[in-house]
Amino acid sequence: MGQIDIRGEEMRVQGLLDRFLNLRFADEGVKGGSHLDEDSLTAFVEGNVGEREAGPVISHLVDCTYCLHVTSELAKLQAGFADEPVNAPVAESQPSRLSEILGGLMTKIFGTGDGVVFAHHESEEEAEEEEPKEDE
Amino acid sequence: MFAVASETYNQLRLPEKCEAMIREIFAGCKANAPNFNVQPEWFRESIGRAAGRFISSSQSAPLESEIEDFIAQLQTEDLYLAVACANGCERAWWEFDQMHRSYLERVARHLASTEINAQEVVDTVYVELYGTRVVDGERVSKFSTYSGRGSLRGWLRTVIWHSLVDLHRASHDEVSLDEMTENVGEGVAHANLAVPSLGGEDSMIDEITRHRYRSATVSAIESAFASLDDHEKLLLLYYHVENMKLREIARMAENKNSPLRDWFQRKSPTREKNPESRIHESTIMRWLEKSYGKVLKLFRTELGTKHSLGDEEIAICMELATQDLASRSLYKNLSAT
Repeated sequence: MGQIDIRGEEMRVQGLLDRFLNLRFADEGVKGGSHLDEDSLTAFVEGNVGEREAGPVISHLVDCTYCLHVTSELAKLQAGFADEPVNAPVAESQPSRLSEILGGLMTKIFGTGDGVVFAHHESEEEAEEEEPKEDE
Repeated sequence: MFAVASETYNQLRLPEKCEAMIREIFAGCKANAPNFNVQPEWFRESIGRAAGRFISSSQSAPLESEIEDFIAQLQTEDLYLAVACANGCERAWWEFDQMHRSYLERVARHLASTEINAQEVVDTVYVELYGTRVVDGERVSKFSTYSGRGSLRGWLRTVIWHSLVDLHRASHDEVSLDEMTENVGEGVAHANLAVPSLGGEDSMIDEITRHRYRSATVSAIESAFASLDDHEKLLLLYYHVENMKLREIARMAENKNSPLRDWFQRKSPTREKNPESRIHESTIMRWLEKSYGKVLKLFRTELGTKHSLGDEEIAICMELATQDLASRSLYKNLSAT
């Protein structure tokens, strides 16, 4: 019996494994049931899931093609964007009103000013506006 | 040891040392952003929720020191901003907008197929972050689901990604979730599953024998993969199925708290002695090679013990697998099992 060519066999098994994994993945599709939430996905991709939480998360990723794919895409995104510096807020600028930032978006998305959404904050803001300002 | 009682997590009483840590962190955050008007109980509730999930993530109760480490690793400045925004603080929203809007737009443009889609997604994310759902009279902001376990930017990337998938889904009712994810970002199409018909007869081995060897091969590779540690499976799936580059996998393992890094260290005495050492692409390659070696060994054992094949027959299985791979006909046999 001739000697077994381990290196050659390893290469073959690598190819076999590659095909098997791709086919299994494609065959499986997306299973129903729960997926990792955005918080857990982010923590995993950034390497912030400690040993205690890692077991269940990794088991889920091995079984869930959807979450596996999401983590892979997020890891690629992270590689491309993580190093961008955070803009420091310009101290001199005046903050816009929250309703100004979001009000336009509501109109664009829902086709209405959506006053109801902001109602409970507006009452507080309006109350502040009605108060006489000391420096005036 | 610290066990979770029946309280809800946000009301969970943590060990006093942890409570003191939270108070100290809060004081630091408040000093940095005094005009966010975050109430200590809001901040405490948010960390309590995250700690509760951490405590319940495993059946065994954590040591108090583990909870302290968990809290110490939270991105507390980001969390403070998120808590302030969740509670509608205008100053916090303004700072968030200044610090992160252009970043969100760049990420959205990178992922979306059109500029319109990118802008639509950023707008939708803003609305979601503010919160349009009202539960028990309280507006529920998406920010309240951020726990500080990852960076706020990382979390925002995830939110944008999901929003784009939802957007795509809304416009393609008939498309499966899996197909949608392939159409967002760098997702790649799965392997082409076209199944060519089998070629002519091999003079050496008749079709029945071929079928027997093929079935054994498929069953053995499946068992070999199933026998691997979950970390090894994940590594192989990222590399082979998700086509991740070695450097992308290395980057995921780079953080000192990464579960992948922990695993590499536990498996390597050299790394265990020097936990600060970097995880290079070559490290990932070595671990892939180790996994292939393990799969090969398990594969051979499975063929030998379960299917009672000798070395020569195993060699035939390998040869057939190689031929099938070349002609892509293995699918037919894989799907038949």
